Amino acid sequence: MIALVDCNSFYATCEQVFRPDLWGKPVVVLSNNDGCVIAANKEAKALSGIPMFEPVFKIKKQLIENKVTFFSSNYTLYGEMSQRVMNILSSFSPEVEIYSIDEAFVDVSGMKHFSMNYYGHQIKDTIFKYTGLPVGVGIAPTKVLAKLANKISKKRVSENKGVFVIDSEEKRIEALKWADISTVWGIGSKHSKRLKGIGILTAYEFTQLPGEWVRKNMTVVGLRIWNELQGKSSIEFKTMPAPKKGIGTAKSFGKKIEDLGMIQEACSSYISEVSEVLRSQKSCATYLQVFLHTNYFSDRDKQYSNSVTVTLSIPTSDTFVLISEAKKALNIIYRPGYRFKKVGVCLSGIIPNNYVQGNLFTPTPRWEKNELMHVFDKINRKYGKSTLFSGLVGTRVKEWELVKEDRSPRYTTQWKELLKLKTTKH
Amino acid sequence: MEIFSSGKLSKIKNSHVSRISKQTGFPSPAAHYAEPSIDLHDELIANRDATFYVRIDGDELSNYNILDKDVLLIDRSLTPKKNDLVLVVLDGEFKVIRFSGASLETEFILWGLISYIIHYAR
Repeated sequence: MIALVDCNSFYATCEQVFRPDLWGKPVVVLSNNDGCVIAANKEAKALSGIPMFEPVFKIKKQLIENKVTFFSSNYTLYGEMSQRVMNILSSFSPEVEIYSIDEAFVDVSGMKHFSMNYYGHQIKDTIFKYTGLPVGVGIAPTKVLAKLANKISKKRVSENKGVFVIDSEEKRIEALKWADISTVWGIGSKHSKRLKGIGILTAYEFTQLPGEWVRKNMTVVGLRIWNELQGKSSIEFKTMPAPKKGIGTAKSFGKKIEDLGMIQEACSSYISEVSEVLRSQKSCATYLQVFLHTNYFSDRDKQYSNSVTVTLSIPTSDTFVLISEAKKALNIIYRPGYRFKKVGVCLSGIIPNNYVQGNLFTPTPRWEKNELMHVFDKINRKYGKSTLFSGLVGTRVKEWELVKEDRSPRYTTQWKELLKLKTTKH
Repeated sequence: MEIFSSGKLSKIKNSHVSRISKQTGFPSPAAHYAEPSIDLHDELIANRDATFYVRIDGDELSNYNILDKDVLLIDRSLTPKKNDLVLVVLDGEFKVIRFSGASLETEFILWGLISYIIHYAR
């Protein structure tokens, strides 16, 4: 049996754990550069007229009118809280597949002496007790069914109390009949539209289709989902997260910028961020993409956007090499006379360090630099990000960076930002 | 700017394990007795995944031995017993109270048990 555990409105509830004044009140979290709403708790979702993924400037008035509290995203906090949840899960089973920051599959097959419903509640209650985060638990014989069970656990809360187990044929059929085909994990909008077109509205009806039809029309991927819904496990359990295929970052500037030097500094700063992530995964990148664009939403400004992808002569994770390549790339795509809104970088072709090959012209990868990067990272980990940085990043960060005003304190990782308790006279 | 040239620098590792000379002299008699240095986490934190920190601002909890700028360690995994200090929520606000008995007064919501109070002694 496989359990899917996921945190309810994870980013928003992470914020609420430390803010009891916001318990039971609507809370939303905004994307990295405060561009749009990326998470909302159930109180905020219940308010009609707050669309997700809308630019904030369009809905700010509605947020304020509805007394919605909004936070800039605090990924340091969410990442640390996520780590706690995953650690707790690994005390329930040796096999945990971390699926995303707020979701994990847990293999609970070995727990033969417990009722699955009891075990599910144990998981849920322990996570809430230790971290204050509410989770939903779905338990079923396959991953796709576990996903479905998890959905049901949340939909009928009074009945299921956040835990739903598919452990009998009747329950499986009941769940399949309940599930709209578009909500099945792995069935995209294109396929669900098509299925609905031929009268397949629920997961149950989908399982009644012949296997050959599914294979022919929805490839082997569709067939796996079909099998999984029948209770036949077809998607393997991966306990190690797959290495990332690409790492990138792109943020809007605080104001529109024309100056190439300033854009280069922002770009170098993003390179520093992503190459640090790359090194922490002990990997190197083969390709570097740099892109640049003006503000699409503005009618007054002349529009321009472009991107370029550089193939690195030797895959690397060296901040300095990547910055100099990015600088060259930026020179190619930059055009004067435009007011730019955003620059972004993306590293791809990611391979483990020990697979890096030299080539005829630069035969040995420059290992001595890696030693430098190692020290660089160590210092930055100990004394805080950007204690050491490349000179090309410059010191004008304040001029281009969008200031995150509403970010909550990093309660669990910074001594200076601990939860503060003001004690007043009784 | 002056440029110094130096011979090969040997790195000194900042480590608390007693070092043994490889070339000369007597082997360190401590080598077989080496242990890692004291780590406060071992003593103060029983359950990392359930432990949170709170900084106190103000002197009003001195009757509980909690002073201004103290750090409280809150272990949410522990179940409070009578007379334990606990962090609770009342009307949307954090409060520190002494737990009175078997069940918590209904108006309070338990946030976590205070397992340690750290204060600076000077």
